[in-house]
Amino acid sequence: MKQIKSVLLGCWLMLLAIHSAAARGPAIADGAREFVAQATIHGKVVDGSEQPLAGATVSVKGSETRVSTDEQGNFAIAIPTDGTTLVISFLGFVTQEYPVRSDPGEEIIVSMQPEEANELDEIVVVGYGSQRKRDITGAVSSVDAKSIQEVPVTQASQALQGRAAGVLVTNTSNKPGGGATVRIRGNRSFSAGNDPLYVIDGIPITGGLQDIPPQDIASMEVLKDASATAIYGSRGANGVVIISTNRGNTGKTVVSYDTWFGFSNAYKQIDMMDGARFAEFKRESRRATGDYDDGDPNADANTPGLFSPVELASIAAGISTNYQDLMLETGNSMNHSLGVRGGSEKTRFNLSFNYMNDQGIIAVQDFNRYAMRVNLDHDISDRIRIGASILGNYSIRNGQSLNPYDDTLLENPLGVPYDDNGELIFLPTPDGLRSNPLAELVPGALLNRNKRLRLFSSLYGEVELAEGLSYRLNFGPDLVQNRVGNFQGKFTNARLGGSSAAQGNEDLVFNYTLENIVKYNKVFDEVHALELTGLFGIQHRQYEATNISVRGIPVEEMQYYNFGAAEEILGTGSDFERWDILSYMGRANYVFDDRYLVTLTARIDGSSRFGRNHRYGFFPSVALGWNISNESFMEGNGVFDLLKLRATYGETGNTGIDPYGTQGLLRRTTYAFDETGAFGFRPNQLRNDNLKWETTRQFNFGLDFAVLGGRISGAAEYYQQKTRDLLMQRQLPFTSGYGSVMENVGATQNTGFEFSISTENIRPQREGGFSWSTDLNLATNNEKILELYGGSQDDVGNRWFIGEPIQVYYDFEKIGIWQTHEADAAESYGRVPGEIKIKDQNQDGVINDLDRVILGNNRPSLTGGLTNRFGFRGFDLSVFLYFNHGNMIYSRFHEVHNTLFGRYNNLDVDYWTPNNPTNAYPRPNQNQEKPVYNTSMAYFDGSFLKIRNVNLGYNFPKSWAAKIKAESLRVYVSAQQPLIISSYVNRHQGIDPEGIDFNADSEQLPVDTPPQRTWLFGLNVKF
Amino acid sequence: MISALFLAVVWSSCSRMLDEEIRSQVGDTHLSTPEGFEDGVRAAYSTLRTFHANELGMTLTVFGTDTYTMGSDGSYKFVNEYTSQFDPRTTFVRDLWNNLYIGINTCNAVIDRAPTVEGLSEEIRNVRVAEARFLRAYYYFTLVQQFGPVHLSVKETTEVTTEASRSPVSEVYAVIEEDLRFAIEQLPETSPDYGRAIKPAAAHLLARVLLTRATSEAAEDSDYAEAGALAEQVINDYGFQLLDDFAKVFEQGSGERNAEVIWAIQYTKNAITNGANSEADGTGNAAHRYFLMEYDVLPGMNRNVRDGQPWKRFMPTTYTLETLFADRVNDTRYRKSFKDVFLCTRPGTYTVNGKEVTYAEGDTAVWLPGYQLDAAVKASKNFLVIEPADYTQKLYPTLTKFLDPERPDMNYEAGSRDFLAFRLAETYLIAAEAFMYAGDEAKAVTYLNEVRGRAAYDGLDEAEDANRRAAMMVTAGELSLDLILEERGRELLGEQLRWYDLVRTHTLVERVRAHNPDGGDNIQDYHVLRPIPQDQIDRTAGGSEAFPQNPGYN
Repeated sequence: MKQIKSVLLGCWLMLLAIHSAAARGPAIADGAREFVAQATIHGKVVDGSEQPLAGATVSVKGSETRVSTDEQGNFAIAIPTDGTTLVISFLGFVTQEYPVRSDPGEEIIVSMQPEEANELDEIVVVGYGSQRKRDITGAVSSVDAKSIQEVPVTQASQALQGRAAGVLVTNTSNKPGGGATVRIRGNRSFSAGNDPLYVIDGIPITGGLQDIPPQDIASMEVLKDASATAIYGSRGANGVVIISTNRGNTGKTVVSYDTWFGFSNAYKQIDMMDGARFAEFKRESRRATGDYDDGDPNADANTPGLFSPVELASIAAGISTNYQDLMLETGNSMNHSLGVRGGSEKTRFNLSFNYMNDQGIIAVQDFNRYAMRVNLDHDISDRIRIGASILGNYSIRNGQSLNPYDDTLLENPLGVPYDDNGELIFLPTPDGLRSNPLAELVPGALLNRNKRLRLFSSLYGEVELAEGLSYRLNFGPDLVQNRVGNFQGKFTNARLGGSSAAQGNEDLVFNYTLENIVKYNKVFDEVHALELTGLFGIQHRQYEATNISVRGIPVEEMQYYNFGAAEEILGTGSDFERWDILSYMGRANYVFDDRYLVTLTARIDGSSRFGRNHRYGFFPSVALGWNISNESFMEGNGVFDLLKLRATYGETGNTGIDPYGTQGLLRRTTYAFDETGAFGFRPNQLRNDNLKWETTRQFNFGLDFAVLGGRISGAAEYYQQKTRDLLMQRQLPFTSGYGSVMENVGATQNTGFEFSISTENIRPQREGGFSWSTDLNLATNNEKILELYGGSQDDVGNRWFIGEPIQVYYDFEKIGIWQTHEADAAESYGRVPGEIKIKDQNQDGVINDLDRVILGNNRPSLTGGLTNRFGFRGFDLSVFLYFNHGNMIYSRFHEVHNTLFGRYNNLDVDYWTPNNPTNAYPRPNQNQEKPVYNTSMAYFDGSFLKIRNVNLGYNFPKSWAAKIKAESLRVYVSAQQPLIISSYVNRHQGIDPEGIDFNADSEQLPVDTPPQRTWLFGLNVKF
Repeated sequence: MISALFLAVVWSSCSRMLDEEIRSQVGDTHLSTPEGFEDGVRAAYSTLRTFHANELGMTLTVFGTDTYTMGSDGSYKFVNEYTSQFDPRTTFVRDLWNNLYIGINTCNAVIDRAPTVEGLSEEIRNVRVAEARFLRAYYYFTLVQQFGPVHLSVKETTEVTTEASRSPVSEVYAVIEEDLRFAIEQLPETSPDYGRAIKPAAAHLLARVLLTRATSEAAEDSDYAEAGALAEQVINDYGFQLLDDFAKVFEQGSGERNAEVIWAIQYTKNAITNGANSEADGTGNAAHRYFLMEYDVLPGMNRNVRDGQPWKRFMPTTYTLETLFADRVNDTRYRKSFKDVFLCTRPGTYTVNGKEVTYAEGDTAVWLPGYQLDAAVKASKNFLVIEPADYTQKLYPTLTKFLDPERPDMNYEAGSRDFLAFRLAETYLIAAEAFMYAGDEAKAVTYLNEVRGRAAYDGLDEAEDANRRAAMMVTAGELSLDLILEERGRELLGEQLRWYDLVRTHTLVERVRAHNPDGGDNIQDYHVLRPIPQDQIDRTAGGSEAFPQNPGYN
């Protein structure tokens, strides 16, 4: 806290300095012309349909005199006698100049024309400021509110999916409230993390976006190249996502209410064996070991350990239980958002309330979020402005770490889940490990509840010190509290009739960011536009946690609310972590004659996480732009509205290692002498004072274009980035007592093309006419390792290979099944017919590690999104497609639910028998828990095309809306993920090839709550 | 001026801000404090749990021998089968290696820092160093038996290094012997902390070490004589004695700490001290799982705490059942080593032996007589009879030594039994073997007969007692290596010694070929050593040139 105090003191001193500067400020403004008011003009401001516009600004050109229109659009303004020009402005309308004489005699009526959306003049938020789109030199993709709202998602990160070229968003969980991983231009780091930096209302946050309701977001900008991200220095290497939330504006107060309600169902069930298939499969698993006598008519009953009485009864009666049917239900979700936006001349506000409830397709999984936002901006004077955006969020997530679905797949279909009275049978078969999966759904039996509270604020004060010179103070405190309670009752698979158990984790995180920003803006001689930005800031994070795990809760209803009553404490712990970053940054933007653009940035960051010898890092960048369309030779070309070339180079860093990574540390150990604990500490981490930042150097070449009056616009990018000094656990021979040490070794490279285009295919001929527009984005990225441990030796242990992406699938290659006629060849490899045949890559007659090859990787070679929007007479339709091409996936249920063991239910595969000489899957065998080389059965092409969303809406005519006193009224119906096209789904019993978590160690498609198809019905109304 | 002040304030506070604040962890200087030094010694013990009484340790010592082969389940059957899948990537081999070297570095840290730790009494300092050296010796002994020549390091690692090399077996044994001689000299005879290294434990270990070295390329002429002398010293000098009843040795609870136990790996009933972190400290005594047959799917049975978790990893070979334990008239150890009855836990009506049978709770549900019954007798039984002819990889006699019915839950892995690593019966057998090779067969046979005599059945009267004991006796003339190996097999079945015994006596290959139905066809001469973990070779500067693989593995 001492540091905060000193820094705050510093800031006060700075403010003091500013205040004294501001006090001198008016001298500059004294030059404004003064006049004597002599006449008053009365008038009214209306829109195209003669509706009054309240809150429009009317000012006298060249003076400070300004007024606002009232509720009826009326105004009265004083003008000098010699006549003047009024300037009338209103957000969303073209600003108008209206010449008036001093004695107009009657009321004037000003009719405002709505603003034609001109993309090129759009303001795009960039780091520490904003720019006109036409002036941007870096590679920035923006996703506007329309695209965000179009697909009703529950997580902000999902709204990015398929919307920006080079941004790969993968849903990693199908559970309510589940998240997504975001990758910008591939992976570059082995261990320092590859998640982008998120900046919300100017404050860089730590952790994901799950607390931000998507409805609050006005725009998301993705900064991809080094010039754009270098100002975030040590945190910018993975790209930056800047999120701006809705702010208030002057004018009529608008109340909006948005809601949707939806149903979801499993997209598809996993194709497991039914009772009869399973019985035959079990017999085959015994035949394979010679334990099933087909000559015996009663072999089913006489083979010991084959079928239990309940299984025999089910076989006789033809009973088969489909546990998936019994577990999966129709999920439902709803969202209510209420927003109030408005403001006066001096104060603008936006209040929003959001409630979201998502009840998943499995009873124990749901998500509730309550969020409240207050965004305020207030002008203390012409030169001093303050503001705040404050988000309060409380969410409850149930069942995030529970996976009862997995149990349904393994459950014996010959078991009977309910007894004659309809009561659950806990063990439907004698198999002691397989409890009834439906027991997990009994209310109170199994709990995993995460209650999360977050108070995230971004506060600022801004002073115009002199014309063009401003100072801004940003302060962003962020408090997060998490409480996770877990409980497993006696009759759950985790406890199998043993005593109940409970665990609790609580953590408290306090982050803050404090930034002092000075800006200077000036246009010299009308052609030299200069903008300078300087920053000094600190970022701080402190994390504290406690946890406990107990067994033997005496009364199940206590759940996790009385750990003290438990029979036994299995473990307790607490944790603390702190890091700080100290930064200095400077940036210069220079534009010459709207034709030549230069951006220079430099940032110095100091991080507590690094060793004494390399605490500070320097991250420079340079960007050049050439606006060809503004050259004189392009004048009147009639084709290009915009043609701009960009080239950038920069360095960014990655500080994402855990704190204390440079320290020599000990590890707690456990032993006992008799019954007395004998805890100890042993060496666990070698000291390394030389650790430093990973540095990414990136070149980016871009081209922006707009033709045919902006009907076709887009951008193309090529980039190459090399990341050096990769923070990596350098593997040590264990004879030293250490398995690894964190070092800066290795290099990776990402290169790629990105292309995005927006077209207005059909412009409406008249109001309500047919319109059609398309947005398409495509991206390629080639990720490879250049160097490991300073050389070009592959690290097979980590599956890191020079020239390959960071994660590859390196395994044996299955080429079929050994057939009966190949028995001799099979034997030479130690196999028998019916087992998996592996390609002997080096043909040495032995299958060993040398026969493993790189089978593929899960990085798509091409990704993209295609949105088509249609409009006609108040109807709007959008169809959003999302695709990945060229990646391989590892499908976990093809491995773990395909053990062919003859004990658990199995994927309904075409397995080998002497009479079925297939090459697909090996023969079941009761004596092997899984087939030899079983992982080779789980690799598939992961390419897919998804219809992510189809949204059909209808805007009621204004006159209809007016009947409920509304300004606008829209209803819509939306289908989410109605179709997945993929060979994995269509040919290989898969459900959804998307879902590999790039952050997990093993990049596998998990077996968990299945993906869904969702129908939503929504309503947007504005008053 | 103000700006300058501002900068000064900010600068001074900020440079401090970037110093890390360590709270939840401990910096490594702690080990040099008196408390930290004691912590380091205790930490050195925790490595013991990583290779005793768990699947890793048992797979590498019980499996692939003449006494045990594989049951139906498990992922490490290739260790038993000696197929090409048993390669340098095998995780159990790698984990054993890694854990032992972590333990060795911990011992080294304690030993190196001891002289500079202030505030320790000289006596405590010496005892603690002796404990660390005892543990280091035990770890190196485990390594040299499994891997042959290994890397020798007797200094704490303080800097990143990728240098490693394989020292000759003789050098490794020299370090082990020196450490143990120091330990014998410095350690107390007993310790107030039960489970700490004590003098007799060091002597027992050195006896075992010398007996092993005697058959290695590093053999010294005096090895057998010294091993015998050390074993005798343990037998005579410290008040240990064989219990009268073999079964009592493995009695759970207070019975674990008995007069026959020289030194045991410690496990507790408290989860917090029993190894909550499976990666670092093991998962309690988990041996209760591996020797059990699949009783829980049989008529009248379900999985329960009393009978345990049937993981069916290790199945006794026919040799074990029919040869080692052939004598069931005089020798109690078949009866006291194997479970022959399972009592009903799931009442109901079942088809058993071709007829409908109704069980009540606690009725005999399953019986393994251990021999073939007359068909009529079998048919008369109202419970399932599993005769030797019915044995499969799922159904076989279950070793009872490690069963742990005192676990609180059916699926609770972390058992609480101490693992009896050094017990007096083994000392007797070490003595027998050492004296036999040292030429004192009379002494050898005396020690052997002590163990055998204890295992004899009690008769109905003294005369019968004497007869049974007499029947168990062997004479000096009958003494042979086979006899000793068979005795060790019977007495120490499943106690993580068999693979070492066979390797030590150069009988692994022939005995596995003769008695292990799964490994017999595949085992080769080179299988007397385990593969060096590939990681070790890959990570060592110079690769396989600098750190060569054991022959036969690739």
